[in-house]
Amino acid sequence: MTSSHDPQLLKGVLSLLLLHLLAEQESYGYEVAQRIQAAGFSDVLEGTVYPALARLEREGRLATRLVASSSGPARKYYRLTDAGREALVAGTAGWARHVSGVEAVLSRPLPVAPQKGS
Amino acid sequence: MPHTVTWFDRLRVERVVWSLDQRLYDLPSRTRIAHRREVRANLLTAAAEVGASEALRRIGGSRELARQFLDAELGEGPRHSWTAALLFALTTPLLLNFFLSEAANAYEQALVTGSHTEGTFTWSGVTWLQSPITYVVQHDQVTHTGGAWTPLVYVLLVGGTVACGRLWRALPRRRGPGEVGSAAGGLAG
Repeated sequence: MTSSHDPQLLKGVLSLLLLHLLAEQESYGYEVAQRIQAAGFSDVLEGTVYPALARLEREGRLATRLVASSSGPARKYYRLTDAGREALVAGTAGWARHVSGVEAVLSRPLPVAPQKGS
Repeated sequence: MPHTVTWFDRLRVERVVWSLDQRLYDLPSRTRIAHRREVRANLLTAAAEVGASEALRRIGGSRELARQFLDAELGEGPRHSWTAALLFALTTPLLLNFFLSEAANAYEQALVTGSHTEGTFTWSGVTWLQSPITYVVQHDQVTHTGGAWTPLVYVLLVGGTVACGRLWRALPRRRGPGEVGSAAGGLAG
């Protein structure tokens, strides 16, 4: 686990991570952010997670419900829709293909650099 | 370690929520209110857990947060702005009325101070923008009628509002075959 991630790489998979976390367990925004930070993405701010959840909700991949809280205002809980589950399956498969493709290239041996003066 | 959320902490949270809310006016009111409530609830929960300062730091600035919410709701890239359109539509008539009435008053002053003859005078008004104004000078009293906006002003107002708010971007876009994309493709970003 690392404490720092390439923001561009993370941007591409944040939605996938959120879908997976919410497939595991229905959560509210702050809790999702906590869980994603606990997974090793400690530099992912809440200010990034909330709009990403809003985007997934607008796309119909998440559904919400308000749950009363004893410690403050009602919390908005997110859970996956059927479209969200389909997106998670497709996204996971796409990510696996992506990783194997990248690894196939990165694992190739590099030519030995010519020595200076030879 | 749990923290006590003081009234001062609540005020700090409310300031950020209010600032965010002001930047989300281009969203439908229901969506804007939902975001406002959600961010407030999350901030209060976070403040109770990690303290208000850390909670506010981790949410980033309200400007950046609003930008991300707008991107999430309206899509990235250039988009329309109802706020800009409304600002133009409300302030332009006020300014226009001010300058036109100043011009009419200047003409009226010239009538009063320049000549003391009584009678009826007609000024064609600011070209293209207003109808002729008729002044009646009687016993050192001047009254005037006319000076209404021409149809061109209304056309310019509508055109300016659309242009200033870039409202053509609010029209529903027709999706091309490439935009329909797979679910996996839609996950990126």
